[in-house]
Amino acid sequence: MLKVKVYADRMSQPSRAVIIFCKVNGIEFDEIKVEISKRQHLSPEFADINPFKKLPAIVDGRFKLFESHAILIYLASAFPGIPDHWYPADLSRRARVHSVLDWHHLNLRHGAAPFVLHTVLAPVFGLPLNPQAAAAAEKILISSLSKLENIWLKGSGRYLLGGLQPSIADLSLVCEIMQLELVDEKDRERILGPHKKVQQWIESTRNATRPHFDEVHKVLYKVKEIIRAKQSNQGDGVMQSRTKAPLASKM
Amino acid sequence: MGKLKVYADRMSQPSRAVLIFCRISGIDFEEIKVDISKGQHLSPDFTEVNPLQKVPAIVHGSLKLFESHAILVYLASAFTGIADHWYPTELSRRAKINSVMDWHHSNLRNGAVNYVINTTLAPALGRQLNPKAATEAENVLLSSLKTLEDIWLNGDGGFLCNGIQPSLADLSMVCELMQLEVLDERDRSRILSPYKKVLQWIENTRTATNPHFEEVHNILYRAKKKFEQQRARTAETRTGPSNKVDEHLDSICVIWMQSQDKVVLTEGNLCKRQENLTADTHQRKK
Repeated sequence: MLKVKVYADRMSQPSRAVIIFCKVNGIEFDEIKVEISKRQHLSPEFADINPFKKLPAIVDGRFKLFESHAILIYLASAFPGIPDHWYPADLSRRARVHSVLDWHHLNLRHGAAPFVLHTVLAPVFGLPLNPQAAAAAEKILISSLSKLENIWLKGSGRYLLGGLQPSIADLSLVCEIMQLELVDEKDRERILGPHKKVQQWIESTRNATRPHFDEVHKVLYKVKEIIRAKQSNQGDGVMQSRTKAPLASKM
Repeated sequence: MGKLKVYADRMSQPSRAVLIFCRISGIDFEEIKVDISKGQHLSPDFTEVNPLQKVPAIVHGSLKLFESHAILVYLASAFTGIADHWYPTELSRRAKINSVMDWHHSNLRNGAVNYVINTTLAPALGRQLNPKAATEAENVLLSSLKTLEDIWLNGDGGFLCNGIQPSLADLSMVCELMQLEVLDERDRSRILSPYKKVLQWIENTRTATNPHFEEVHNILYRAKKKFEQQRARTAETRTGPSNKVDEHLDSICVIWMQSQDKVVLTEGNLCKRQENLTADTHQRKK
């Protein structure tokens, strides 16, 4: 039986969710690295896998699939022995998992991803930082975190929708929030700090999927260090030349 | 289990998709009108049903559910006798439909909603056009239409993902595109006419779900006429922004702006009215 091929870039939040899901559930797969920062997602070979040129994507036999939620659902359904809490068979519980997965696109993702891109990550892709876009994204991000705190994490369970164990929705959304690791510590504290349930939920999801969660997030932590180092170099540069004209950005 | 209750406003595209699906599938349900233009989605009663205060939403026994795709999938799975093509049991086919429904949120929906707001609703109220927002939305919309034409409608099926019969995805997305009916006819034609497969697909979906499709869209056609009249009036008077705001059109603006607040809040493209509405909403929530 051919192994599932997972085309992923671990810097991509939805890629991480798919990889972690596979590892936690013992799904045998080949991880095929597609580095966005090296524009590998734009290659003709990858376009053959996913004409949208986005990650993650999977190939299972002759079947090609993209959009991470569709992938998670497919994997949870197609492979035997996946614990029910990931994607419940009960239709009502399953429907609620779908509802938060759907909400995610134009809420948490729509806020978090552009916020990180426009404050920190853009230079990695050769783009300029965009404070205006960052501010707009931040509004959406904060609104989404507030809804998570007050609505989606309501109930006695530690997971979304009052769940006692994580579902694919928890994995997907927590991987999205992890991208905020890249952002300046003060900003991160300002944005996440007021949301205690959200922070607890991130920890619960991390614990439930260890050691894979941290292992898959390693590259994110590495990039975080690189960004911090660059920022403090810039800071030193500015200190030394306070009376001179401002330095051009090194990024 | 009690009868299914569907909370809907027929001016809302995803509401229409759920209503049409219920009717075409013979699902027994009660339609409960939630008039967004009257702020009914903000009532404590409706907030009890959906704390996010959006339509559509359903109540089925003890289940309260919102997000139209989740609703459609639930209905297709929970009720007996639903034809398989709506949400196939075969996993890879089902996955393809999930995939296009996921794509929809940030693409077709995002583009279509913002384009209609920034080209039709704003001028209809004598507000200043925001050319930047309109252009951005148009780009997203055109890109989505091209993607539909070249990728999702690739093949001879006549429906998305080479389907020969409609799925939940077809219904959801065609209802979204129907929104463009309220545009100026020349605009609508300019935007849609290059996409032959898309146009055919809209017709196919309409045909497959008539008479329910037409009946559920009646309110939209009425709104279309009102906008046409308003445009004609504005053209005649040529005196710039009108002080007399057509109440019905105003309320339609409210519908789209309040229900789409998340997609309108980009790049500082809020028109003054939206800022007031948002402030209004916050006030009411306190």
